[in-house]
Amino acid sequence: MRERLSFYVKRESFLHNLNPLTKLVLALGLTLIGFLSPWYWTPLAIIFFIIAPLSFVGKVQRDFLNAAFRLILPATGFLFIMQALFQPVGKTELFSIWFLHVTRESLAYAFENATRIFAMVSSFTIFLLTTHPSELMSDLTHRGLPSQFAYVIISTIQIIPQMQAKAQTIIAAQRSRGLDTESSLFKRAGALVPLVSPLVFGSLVEVEERAIAIEARGFTSRHTKTSLREIPDSSFDKALRWILLLLVVAIIAVKIWLS
Amino acid sequence: MAIVNLKGVTYKYPLTETPALSNINLKINEGEFVAVIGPNGAGKSTLCYTLAGFVPHFFKGDLQGSVEVAGVETKTSTLSDWVLNVGLAFQNPFNQISGAKYTVYEEIAFGLENLGIPRGEMKERVDQALTLTGIRDLADRSPYSLSGGQQQRVALTSILVMQPKVLVLDEPTSQMDPIGTREVFGVIRSLAERGMTVIMAEHKVEWVAQFADRVIALYEGKLMMDGRPGDVLTSERLVGKGYGISRYTSAAREASRRGLWPRNRELPVTLDEAVMGFGGFPLPRGEGQGVRGKGRK
Amino acid sequence: MKIEIKDLHYTYPAGVEALRGVSLTIDSGEQVAMVGQNGSGKTTLVKHLNGLLQPTSGSVLIGDLDTKKVPVAKLAVHVGYVFQNPDEQLFCRTIHEEVAFGPRNLGFDASKIESLVADALNLVELSSRKETNPYDLSPTWRKMVALASIISMDTSIVILDEPTTGQDAVNVARIAHVVAELRKRGKTVITITHDIDFCAENFERVIALSQGKILLDGPAGSVLGQGEILAQTYVDPPQLTRLGKRLGLKKTVRNQEEFLSALKS
Repeated sequence: MRERLSFYVKRESFLHNLNPLTKLVLALGLTLIGFLSPWYWTPLAIIFFIIAPLSFVGKVQRDFLNAAFRLILPATGFLFIMQALFQPVGKTELFSIWFLHVTRESLAYAFENATRIFAMVSSFTIFLLTTHPSELMSDLTHRGLPSQFAYVIISTIQIIPQMQAKAQTIIAAQRSRGLDTESSLFKRAGALVPLVSPLVFGSLVEVEERAIAIEARGFTSRHTKTSLREIPDSSFDKALRWILLLLVVAIIAVKIWLS
Repeated sequence: MAIVNLKGVTYKYPLTETPALSNINLKINEGEFVAVIGPNGAGKSTLCYTLAGFVPHFFKGDLQGSVEVAGVETKTSTLSDWVLNVGLAFQNPFNQISGAKYTVYEEIAFGLENLGIPRGEMKERVDQALTLTGIRDLADRSPYSLSGGQQQRVALTSILVMQPKVLVLDEPTSQMDPIGTREVFGVIRSLAERGMTVIMAEHKVEWVAQFADRVIALYEGKLMMDGRPGDVLTSERLVGKGYGISRYTSAAREASRRGLWPRNRELPVTLDEAVMGFGGFPLPRGEGQGVRGKGRK
Repeated sequence: MKIEIKDLHYTYPAGVEALRGVSLTIDSGEQVAMVGQNGSGKTTLVKHLNGLLQPTSGSVLIGDLDTKKVPVAKLAVHVGYVFQNPDEQLFCRTIHEEVAFGPRNLGFDASKIESLVADALNLVELSSRKETNPYDLSPTWRKMVALASIISMDTSIVILDEPTTGQDAVNVARIAHVVAELRKRGKTVITITHDIDFCAENFERVIALSQGKILLDGPAGSVLGQGEILAQTYVDPPQLTRLGKRLGLKKTVRNQEEFLSALKS
């Protein structure tokens, strides 16, 4: 598990070879189109006719389906049920449970929202599965994103599992000193200080040392940074980004025109 | 020719009264391997930070005197330019991983990216550095998946690849297990053999004795001794002050009081020296053989 | 309290088999050092002694308490565990509070807590700094605070994980003094250490682990002399033991006195 700190799956595919920004724009574009499209079935169409095939193009179909069925579907399913039950819209009652009335309209509304969210999360899943985080950051830095900002994002992603491990050690250390973290909720709340403050202090020490370490590697150098990885940005990439932008604009126009 | 020159260096950390370093005068020649010993709090780390420019550029406080490397003073330079003069690696290997990279290869290239080295040259230098420290087989691993000794070798390589004129190491093995210690000292040994200018704070004296041309003993921020490893590491003046003293030295010192150590013979620091002095015979290719005095000017 | 470990196996949730059949008995009042390379299972093993880890199979008895049935907070009455990194346990504003935290959790009365805290601080030579914030001390001294914060719990078993890492000779001597004092009081002390000279000079029994199994277990003098077997877990014999071997001394020596008297004969 320690080897795998991001969602990225290394493969040789058309999708992997696209420029990271193109993939980011693709994920954003599909999300916006899903949310803004006036046609009811658009999000579902995006899921089945664009995202699912893309997972095959990117050779990450197994990882994608895994995420889709084990995480995205349960989450959006829950959202669907909650909205169907609690959304007080429409009059065409289908059935009712106790004080909850499920109408045709609330069902339709919940379904549309759930598919939109599904489309959004799954398009970003494809993006994360096929884009190396440091490639994305190098590319964005190259395009003018401050390198400090990129560093904070990447190192945070990497540091989370380490923080979890540290938290586990602290819990173990305090339990060894007789701290009861297992019984009542009241006791557990009292146990928070001995657990949180070593974590915070330890992180401060670490941050200082890490700052020294990256300074020692010339992080604040005045030179324009170069990149080990060559990040492709073909004319196809550029064209694709323009097309997506135009599509989003077109959808917005249609939406305004129809309203 | 002196590549490092410290004149009257006194330094106080912010909000402290007692100086962490007081009146340090020190000249170090190109190609010298200097070990810095001292008990906890003697100023070893502060000296390392001062040489590497972190005092005064990172730790503020009050710095007096001058620190020169290759004719340039730290005060007039910037931290990011200083990395080409002095490279620094320190104790905790984990905190030296940048966190910005996913493989060892990329991790080592990180410094070169920051310096704006063109891609072709970057790859060449990373490859060379990996060979130099013998960690080519780790290139594709995640830095976080490595053992402490491996991580520390990655940290060393990441600094070496930047080709600093002087390398400063602050107790690089203090958090290693024996295998990690051996791995890291293996790399340091090869640097010593190549004639790199190295300043290493370290309290494992039996290792120090194998690499160092010269040993400096710090005590409460002051330079207490400066001389040949054989003289400094066996000095009576180190006793009882918290210095690491080799068991061979202590045993021979006591033995000489009891007439069991040859009179006028220098006290031993390493196993081989102890074996010879106590009248045994050194193995032809024994354990713990050093590079002291070999292949160096 | 007697410790009895029977055919202990432990596999981490990620699938790493860290202990592969460890059986051993440690009698009340023994001083035991555990050595072996990182990953040999030392820490995993001692984490079973106060129930932080539960056996995948096999059993661990502390006196007549089965660690599977007794919660960690209850085992803490009998087993104190000083973690390697003091920064992963210190959180109070003063040293006094920090050292009182453990005994307070164990439910001792106020006067007993006071005397335990005073005794522990005295032992680590921090009596004069009771009101200091632990984080105003150097890492070296923070380690001593962590040590005191466990000694004050007055457990009959004390576990020390790498007590000498990053410590200079004066502090190593101070820790050795604490170990000797605990021995006098009849406590069981179990120490994980890479510092083999410290181990040779302060512990009577040494257990070497390798790949989740016991490689050697016995009196320090006999275990530390077996260089070739110890090499399997990357442990070098102590300096003077190696010197004795090279000089052809018949007896395995492990400290200066033994070395010098063997040299004479």
